[in-house]
Amino acid sequence: MKSRISIPKSIIAAIAALFLCLLAGQASAGSIKHLKAPDDAADCYECHKKVTPRIAQNWYESKHGVALMKCFVCHGQPDGKGSIPFMVVPEPKAVCRKCHEPAMIRMEKKFGIDPDCYKCHVFHQNSLHHDAYGKSESKSN
Amino acid sequence: MKVTRREVLKTAAAASAMAAIGGPLTTMAKAADNEPEKWVKSVCRFCGTGCGVMVGVKGGKVVTVKGDPNNHNKGFLCLKGALMPPIVYSKDRVTKPYIRKNGKLEPATWDEAMSLVASKFKTAIKDHGPTSVAYYGSGQALTEETYLASKIWKAGLGSNNVEGNPRLCMASAVGGYVTTFGKDEPCGSYDDIDAATCFFIIGSNMSECHPILFKRVAARKQADPNVKVIVVDPRKTNTARIADEHVSFKPGTDLAILNAMAYVIIQEELDNQRFHNKYVSFMTNDKKKVGFDEYVKFLEDYTPEKAEKISGVPAAQIRKIALMFAEASATTSFWCMGLNQRIRGVWANNLVSNLHLLTGQIGKLGASPFSLTGQPNACGGVRDTGGLCHLLPAGRLIKKPEHRAQLEKQWGLKAGTIAPKPGLHTIALWNAFSEGKVKAIFVICTNPAHSLPNVNIYSEGMKRKDNFFVLSEPFMDAETVKYCDVLLPPAFWCEKRGTYGCSERRYSLLMKSVEPMGECKPDFDILMDFAKRMDVDPKVVPYKEIDDVWNEWREVSSITPYNFKGITRARMEKASGIRWPCPTEDHPGTRIRYVRGEDPNIPKDYKNKYHFYGKKDGRAVIWFRPYKGAAEEPDADYPMVLTTGRVIDHWHTGTMTMKVPELRRSFPKAYVEVNVDDAKKAGIKNGDDVILETRRDTMTFQAKVSDVCRPGLVFVPWYDANLLINKLTLNAFDKGSKQPEYKICAIRIKKA
Repeated sequence: MKSRISIPKSIIAAIAALFLCLLAGQASAGSIKHLKAPDDAADCYECHKKVTPRIAQNWYESKHGVALMKCFVCHGQPDGKGSIPFMVVPEPKAVCRKCHEPAMIRMEKKFGIDPDCYKCHVFHQNSLHHDAYGKSESKSN
Repeated sequence: MKVTRREVLKTAAAASAMAAIGGPLTTMAKAADNEPEKWVKSVCRFCGTGCGVMVGVKGGKVVTVKGDPNNHNKGFLCLKGALMPPIVYSKDRVTKPYIRKNGKLEPATWDEAMSLVASKFKTAIKDHGPTSVAYYGSGQALTEETYLASKIWKAGLGSNNVEGNPRLCMASAVGGYVTTFGKDEPCGSYDDIDAATCFFIIGSNMSECHPILFKRVAARKQADPNVKVIVVDPRKTNTARIADEHVSFKPGTDLAILNAMAYVIIQEELDNQRFHNKYVSFMTNDKKKVGFDEYVKFLEDYTPEKAEKISGVPAAQIRKIALMFAEASATTSFWCMGLNQRIRGVWANNLVSNLHLLTGQIGKLGASPFSLTGQPNACGGVRDTGGLCHLLPAGRLIKKPEHRAQLEKQWGLKAGTIAPKPGLHTIALWNAFSEGKVKAIFVICTNPAHSLPNVNIYSEGMKRKDNFFVLSEPFMDAETVKYCDVLLPPAFWCEKRGTYGCSERRYSLLMKSVEPMGECKPDFDILMDFAKRMDVDPKVVPYKEIDDVWNEWREVSSITPYNFKGITRARMEKASGIRWPCPTEDHPGTRIRYVRGEDPNIPKDYKNKYHFYGKKDGRAVIWFRPYKGAAEEPDADYPMVLTTGRVIDHWHTGTMTMKVPELRRSFPKAYVEVNVDDAKKAGIKNGDDVILETRRDTMTFQAKVSDVCRPGLVFVPWYDANLLINKLTLNAFDKGSKQPEYKICAIRIKKA
């Protein structure tokens, strides 16, 4: 269910800007930092539901969450020791393709190649990453 | 201005995504470096869903995988399937043969190892007769490998002691289908998921055990909220997340619930009289054919109120799910180990099929009683090709002289080659091996020292000095390696060519992607070498390559309703799986059996729409199966129930999934899941050590306190080799199917 809250547009822009600055700062330093996780850490969700509850909850409610397609499948392991490189933003050709190549080919035929998939398929916002039973953001726009 | 929560999140996340996209450029470049030079068609190595996989190869190595868009999974993979490559290159791969000397496995040449194997098997046969040797295979071996092994033992060595781990997972489903329909294997297919309007999921956590099928069910529900999902499980698993009704019941009482559903369906006049009058026989438990009225009388013991007393499920909920099942335009049932791994496994299977036959929810798209298989080639490799002690290829039985004679003729062997007495079933076989009565065993592609129930008995038996144990196993850290006398290095999954057949009767070809590691050889080569050294009549094994075995199997099946004649290698190389029966090269394969116009075994001009040709009278059977409890019910000494199962991250004994860093870390060790109320009573907190005690052994696990298990039930996943839960499980088995009751045993728990 959608909860309607009253927030001025300027505040949204400010939140966005804050995210941008924080992450851009870290990104320019080389890569996004992650706390060192013990080798026997449980799955990402166990910790992230405490430290980044919103993102964790978005995943949980999403199609990926219902199907238990866990964080590490797309993002790898923070220490880089996983079977794919650690990526805050998964690289579509390396990761998304594993399952979504038929859709990627269809989209490419329809719209051509856009180097930024996430412009339309907003990260953690389409039905893969939020609200499994809702319509994908990219489709409702 | 009013904005939705989603809009706020969208703006923020878009910004973070844009920011981050500039960050891991180096890793993106690294990923692009691994762009495969070629993609090779294969099938996932894990569960019985049998998803098509494309293996990405670069420089002779597997670098990645992606889903096969042309197979039933339409390009999708689950988290295990998507992370397979590290398994191939694990440091624990066995890459050369070993012989145990003075208690230690010492490297040996292939010739040394195989000479020893042949001499031990020959001595056993000479001194104790052919039934002193056995083969124990796997629902993960290739179809051709199991067919070949079964033929070597049954026709070449004269021993029907051919078994395999499918006895532990699928035997009750076989028993269920054969007693109800006269033929094994599901009548429907995965296509039913897209057309069903009601899903009845019982004894299956398909979300974690068959993730891609669950995804397809969830997608159906996501697309149409009117689609109903009923989940019957004493645990509130992730599968129950999409359920309209989650039915939690006292473990072992589901037989009463299923009979009560039939009672309600008849009382509400929702049974399809036209269908069951014409196509169904009613059969008492002692195999007497009776009328519908007798069935109504039998069900009087299972009114919802009586079933509530037995199962703890409110009568109203039983009524509700019975109506949902019967009133839907198309209901598909799914079940798995929850029904199969039980001493009443065959009966439980019959009772689900009863509901479909009573309501006519069968033989049309979306309506089917569908048994999910646990392993990628249990259906294809073992059930269809007859890789068990009582079976011959294509549904024929050893005990039937006409079946033996038919096969001996097809194989071009003299009459009487196949011994008339069935061999020892899995539990009897391992009992006999542990008692030193079976002298030599050849084990391929399975890990019995981890997977057998009440495993202490069998691991002790494996230590005996007077029996001989050969193991073909890709991973050095598999539990069974500790006990074998000879260890052989098999080529793994993508290093060989052959066939897997999944739950929906679909057979797909796994093409060889890369060369075997080290001195590894395909099990086909190993078995052929063994046959030669054992002086098996060359007429029994007239094969140059693995495709010859497949072509023989096509011929052998072609005079039976299995009929693989049209599934040629050339077709398999192009297609991503074909479903049998498939009698001709231009036949597309079969999605629904027993229906005129769909099933090629029924003439197009057959007088009736349905024909259950597995039964002489063409009628499927509604069985009167009473509720009977588990082999070991909880009591004053052991007041709770232990059940075991999987987590999504790990598969079977963990020898593969523990090699993937992400999966290992996700669930590094087994735990015990305890209900909140039980934990409170016992003073157990999340993370506490808990002592689990059954009549067989005592072990300690870390507690996960939650509301997943119902009160009185604890759950432990079975993948962890360091915490072998099968030391606690029970080896009582179903009288019909001989499948053990892993799912229920009595236990007591206390805080450590």
